[in-house]
Amino acid sequence: MTEVLLLGRRAVREVLRLPEATIPTLFIPLFFLVVNIGQVSKTFPSTTPFLKGQSYVAFQLPVSLMFAVATATSGLALVTEIDLGYFDKLLVAPIRRSSLIFGRLTADLVRGVAASSLVLLVGIALGARIQSGALGAVVIVLLSALFGVAYAGFGILVALRTRNVQATQSSFLLFFPLLFLTPNFVPFNRLSPAMETLARINPVSYVIVGLRSLVIDGWDLGRIAVCLLVIVLMGIVLTGLSLRAIAGYDR
Amino acid sequence: MAAPDAGDAAIAARSLRRTFKGGIEAVRDIDLTVAEGEVFGFLGPNGAGKTTTVRMLCTLLPPSAGSATVAGLDVVGDAARVRRQIGVALQEIGLDPVQTGRELLELQCGLYGITGRDARLRTQELLELVGLLEAAGRRTKTYSGGMKRRLDLASALVHAPDVLFLDEPTTGLDPASRLTIWEEVRRINAGGTSVFLTTQYLEEADQVCDRLAIIDDGRIVAEGTPEQLKAQMGHDVVSVSLDGTDVDATEAALAGLPGLERVAVEEDALALYVDDGASSVAEIVRRLDRDEIRVRAITVSRPTLDDVFLNATGRRLEGQEPSEQPAEVAR
Repeated sequence: MTEVLLLGRRAVREVLRLPEATIPTLFIPLFFLVVNIGQVSKTFPSTTPFLKGQSYVAFQLPVSLMFAVATATSGLALVTEIDLGYFDKLLVAPIRRSSLIFGRLTADLVRGVAASSLVLLVGIALGARIQSGALGAVVIVLLSALFGVAYAGFGILVALRTRNVQATQSSFLLFFPLLFLTPNFVPFNRLSPAMETLARINPVSYVIVGLRSLVIDGWDLGRIAVCLLVIVLMGIVLTGLSLRAIAGYDR
Repeated sequence: MAAPDAGDAAIAARSLRRTFKGGIEAVRDIDLTVAEGEVFGFLGPNGAGKTTTVRMLCTLLPPSAGSATVAGLDVVGDAARVRRQIGVALQEIGLDPVQTGRELLELQCGLYGITGRDARLRTQELLELVGLLEAAGRRTKTYSGGMKRRLDLASALVHAPDVLFLDEPTTGLDPASRLTIWEEVRRINAGGTSVFLTTQYLEEADQVCDRLAIIDDGRIVAEGTPEQLKAQMGHDVVSVSLDGTDVDATEAALAGLPGLERVAVEEDALALYVDDGASSVAEIVRRLDRDEIRVRAITVSRPTLDDVFLNATGRRLEGQEPSEQPAEVAR
């Protein structure tokens, strides 16, 4: 455990010292939030049934939160470490290889909390009201951060498998279809039949729906539970694959 | 120094082999024994298998066949315990550019179970040892090549390892920084740590290493103390630098030279290993004159590791200057 904390502290330090790696990942979600609202707020005024009296920013906020936390930053840091040779130094230390993954994920948790807090505050400043209250806001931040941790496993997996910076960097692109084949602009029932089918089989949809329920509906425990379940399953699968990749690294 | 027994060896490899995808045989059934407290040099051209061997001995790469022990522990079966006993500074300097020198060493201490006050003290001690106290608060990306090597070396020493692996520890460094690294290696070794190092600098290997082996194309082609290896070469080396002259014709002209022990043929030169260099020169000059062979220079020297290397591999190590020339007869 000590080694995870030590490696986690180092990874957090890295995040703080390389703001140029984090700032662009925050720019995109904030940009989308402002632009999307600007473009469709007249189409979807607060009288729109699915907004339940809120402005469209409340509906869009979960999408921006997910954009803010789903990054390939850990994967990129890892592949850079492999490139520089520091990864070998860590592999030859008498520590469990899994600590190298969990150390990175610790930083993802910290970064996820910071990034989603910021995006949430911007959303509130733009007019979103959190129906589940202050505790709900904390849950939103935590669920978002956990989603970031779960998703980070994908970048780490690509980094370990390819050992290639470009491949790891472009792994982020995979997130676009996952995020857009969802009820991101309108609810499921307003999507075309084909899109609705795709959105319903996309697990990321249920993360958005869960987070959105905390903003617009209040405490819908069923949706929150499904959201958490998807995040946990995603985390288990992607982290599990990363752990297997690091265990078999040069073996 | 005779080859040590495998029983009390710091490192013992038996028929160690590594084959990569595509059937590339990087290391072919090598046997090695490094005694406790020894500085062992592993020499070879690029791609000869040095780094692959180091990576297998450090538990970073499993052997395809054969076995090896480090500090008496099997590198495959006991890999976790081997890692506690070894310090490693690989060819690619393993540093995190975002951390300061001090942070990096303290983290390294932590990974070896040294924490809190002990870690801070050990870090301070190592920073002093490698002369980086003043730069300790700076991020390592601001360090020069020499400083990075020294910090990397310090990070390999946090847990006072029994065996230290240094893969090309002085490559890319200026002569002054190389000297500093070698002084540190000697000091570390004086404390009882066995050292396994690879280097391209033969003259330095000659000075630093108790014993050495030359690897070429995955096989060990020479092994012994520097003195033994040089002694095997004959007493003197007469180097004949050709001036575009046919190598075969020159070799033929010098065939049967009295006292000649062996000849090494290079692209544009011949190295003649003879009993007595000074007396051979006159006969060499006479024969070349007789056959009207023009040469650029004839030099006489004592055999160096460069000659050993040339003899063992058929070529000089890249980047090596030909032997220093105490006596020169130009034509």
